[in-house]
Amino acid sequence: MTEIVRRSQTRPIYLMLRMKPPWVFIDEIRRFVESFCACACPNQEREAQVALAVHELMQNAVPHSREEDVDLVLEVDPNTDKVTISVSNPCSGEQFEKLRARITSMNAEPDALKHYLESMRAAPTTRGGLGLPRVRFEAQLDVAAHHDGDRVMVVAAGKLRAPRLHLEGGVLS
Amino acid sequence: MTRREAMAGSSQIGTKGSSMQVSEERYSVDVTLDEGGLRVHFHGTISTMNPAAVLNPFVDSVHEELVRTHARNVRIDLRELEFCNSSGFKTFIHWIELIKKLPAEQRYRLRFVSSPARKWQRTSLLALSCYGVDAVVVE
Repeated sequence: MTEIVRRSQTRPIYLMLRMKPPWVFIDEIRRFVESFCACACPNQEREAQVALAVHELMQNAVPHSREEDVDLVLEVDPNTDKVTISVSNPCSGEQFEKLRARITSMNAEPDALKHYLESMRAAPTTRGGLGLPRVRFEAQLDVAAHHDGDRVMVVAAGKLRAPRLHLEGGVLS
Repeated sequence: MTRREAMAGSSQIGTKGSSMQVSEERYSVDVTLDEGGLRVHFHGTISTMNPAAVLNPFVDSVHEELVRTHARNVRIDLRELEFCNSSGFKTFIHWIELIKKLPAEQRYRLRFVSSPARKWQRTSLLALSCYGVDAVVVE
């Protein structure tokens, strides 16, 4: 297996899934992605963060899928030090505009932790609103969204070798 | 959304006298008492659509007990919690908000016990400790 991974590291490694998934399968997808990343990019310590991001993006996508396909593409490229997660699902123009406004507002705050904490304060007892800020801070991935026809694609991308999280009072790896 | 989550929105769950435990299909929470005081154990995977509908009333009950007994700390054991989605994470935010509303002399601390093998816990708890600076300790 190690040899297979070593040879495959000369080019990006892709995982593509097309699903009409009930909600309950998201746990299984998260577990699979975590194992996949641990194998595809050994020693990067990135699998838990990528799995968390996939989970949150899938949980945003599935309720809006109207029982149509949800597509997941995961690309890991050790050569360019990049990991990219793309999740697409059916989405009306109105839904997309709301999503885009949220992402624009989030990205307008350069400090991912600050925005995450503001999101916690904003709606502690209501549903939603925390997933994307969590992806941005905890998984250390930049988030964007594109609309194409009747589908939205949410893309979370960042470094494969993510820097350690530095915070006042300590460092986490 | 689980059946119980749907019911919780309009039922008596979380009112006085409710049991201090949660037992759902994929996760459970229970409370034990040891020499260090109350210990809340989370097990399984919190990944349903609206777990707060079940978990917040449970937290309310535990909070009432902690205030009633003048507790200074409660241990929250996450070592058997495989994953918690952002919706479930809000339960801990709700808990911190309850503590913040207390008079200073009644406040207690949430002391989280995590598993090094579950790497998401460290970053999630790091963020949570930034949110509840005086209410959260990560052991």
